[in-house]
Amino acid sequence: MKLSYLYEIALFVMLILLQVLLLNRISLFGLATPVLYGYFLLKLPMGRNLFFVIISAFLMGLIIDIFLNTPGMNAAAFTIVASLRKPVMNLFFEKVEYDEFVPGIYTAAGPFVRFTIFMVFLHLTLLFFIESFTLFNLKSTLLRIVTSAAITILLIITMDSLMYKRKQSEHT
Amino acid sequence: MRNLFNFIIRNSHWLVAILFVAFSFYLVFTHNSYQRSVYLTSANNVAGMFYTASDNITSFFFLKKSNQLLLEQNAELEKALYALMADNNSVEVSDSVGMNAFVADSVGPPQFVFIPAKVVNLSFSGVNNFITLNKGASNGIKPDMGVISQRGVVGVVSNVSPNFSVVIPVINPKFRLSAKLKNSENYGSLSWDGKNIRVAQLQELPRHEPFHEGDTVLTSFSRIFPKNLIIGYVSETGESGDDNFNTFNIHLATDFYTLQDVLVINDLFYEEQKALEDILQK
Repeated sequence: MKLSYLYEIALFVMLILLQVLLLNRISLFGLATPVLYGYFLLKLPMGRNLFFVIISAFLMGLIIDIFLNTPGMNAAAFTIVASLRKPVMNLFFEKVEYDEFVPGIYTAAGPFVRFTIFMVFLHLTLLFFIESFTLFNLKSTLLRIVTSAAITILLIITMDSLMYKRKQSEHT
Repeated sequence: MRNLFNFIIRNSHWLVAILFVAFSFYLVFTHNSYQRSVYLTSANNVAGMFYTASDNITSFFFLKKSNQLLLEQNAELEKALYALMADNNSVEVSDSVGMNAFVADSVGPPQFVFIPAKVVNLSFSGVNNFITLNKGASNGIKPDMGVISQRGVVGVVSNVSPNFSVVIPVINPKFRLSAKLKNSENYGSLSWDGKNIRVAQLQELPRHEPFHEGDTVLTSFSRIFPKNLIIGYVSETGESGDDNFNTFNIHLATDFYTLQDVLVINDLFYEEQKALEDILQK
């Protein structure tokens, strides 16, 4: 139990640093920016306390906002995603008996991929629409959502397979 | 009543979520780049520290390019120095004739002082672009000071903490600057449409104004920048909503991808000019 919390804190910090120091400087074709920090919400155990999920998501969004000088934007989008996480999970995963079930590519490949696609699109749609409130350009906003989502989903699935493999080799 | 309480307790996480989202949107809508607190921006010390650490590593990869730029700038300065020395000699010649009264006059107090700073972070992935510098209020930087690079205009300081400052660059939709073509006095308004970080737009320039591709675009009247600083070069005619005015796409002189060192302009007469102009506005 304790170990899982430590793992989550490490993931929390790592994803924030990765996002602000590396990924946010990427702008493929001037459009696509990977937004990987949403991976944190995907990897929380299924039955995790809802307050914990929402508060940690809000904090994560706010910290990223502070680094990127966009007060409130990431926090708003990510808190909404976090509060919808449970209903969305019920949509994609079978009712699992135990609460400690962690979604992943090796534990439930098909549902996890579908869950990832849905969550990433939800997150990026909210984020980019909040961001472009001031500069409304529908076509380029939609283009940015689709391209960014594609590259984010690809990264999440790659990362999930890699991290799981590393854990396997540690055990054996 | 009991059911109501149960309902509230069962769904209280929704209340928390709504509260957080409301607070976030409050931040979004009150987000004013000129008045917000420095704690929620990258000018705060913790965020600045992380960016400095990461910059120590990344700046290594741009060494060659910055070196090249410094050499070029050095050459320019050397050229200017020789021109000045030549000038000086001719003055000394006239000096010997006994006409030295005007010399002291031409060396008045300088209006602009430059504070060198290093870019520790730069974002250009979205529409809310900004730059974080490693100098702040303790180095004499204040909000509304102009920032330039070796090549041209960079932006305007918006937030300052003791050791860091945040700059709104040309490539931010909130940035506006009056600009003109090199060989004319008519000025237009420079802004950025959010598409390409190498290209900004110069609008509202009268249609009769002659221009060529490659014309230099300079700063015009501004409280923030000295006159005749290079902004960029005309690359093509863009779309204009009004028949009487031209819109140009401007290839920016500053390369934001590799920006490393900048100068912050401290205009010593800024307060004086502002005070004088404010009298009229009241």
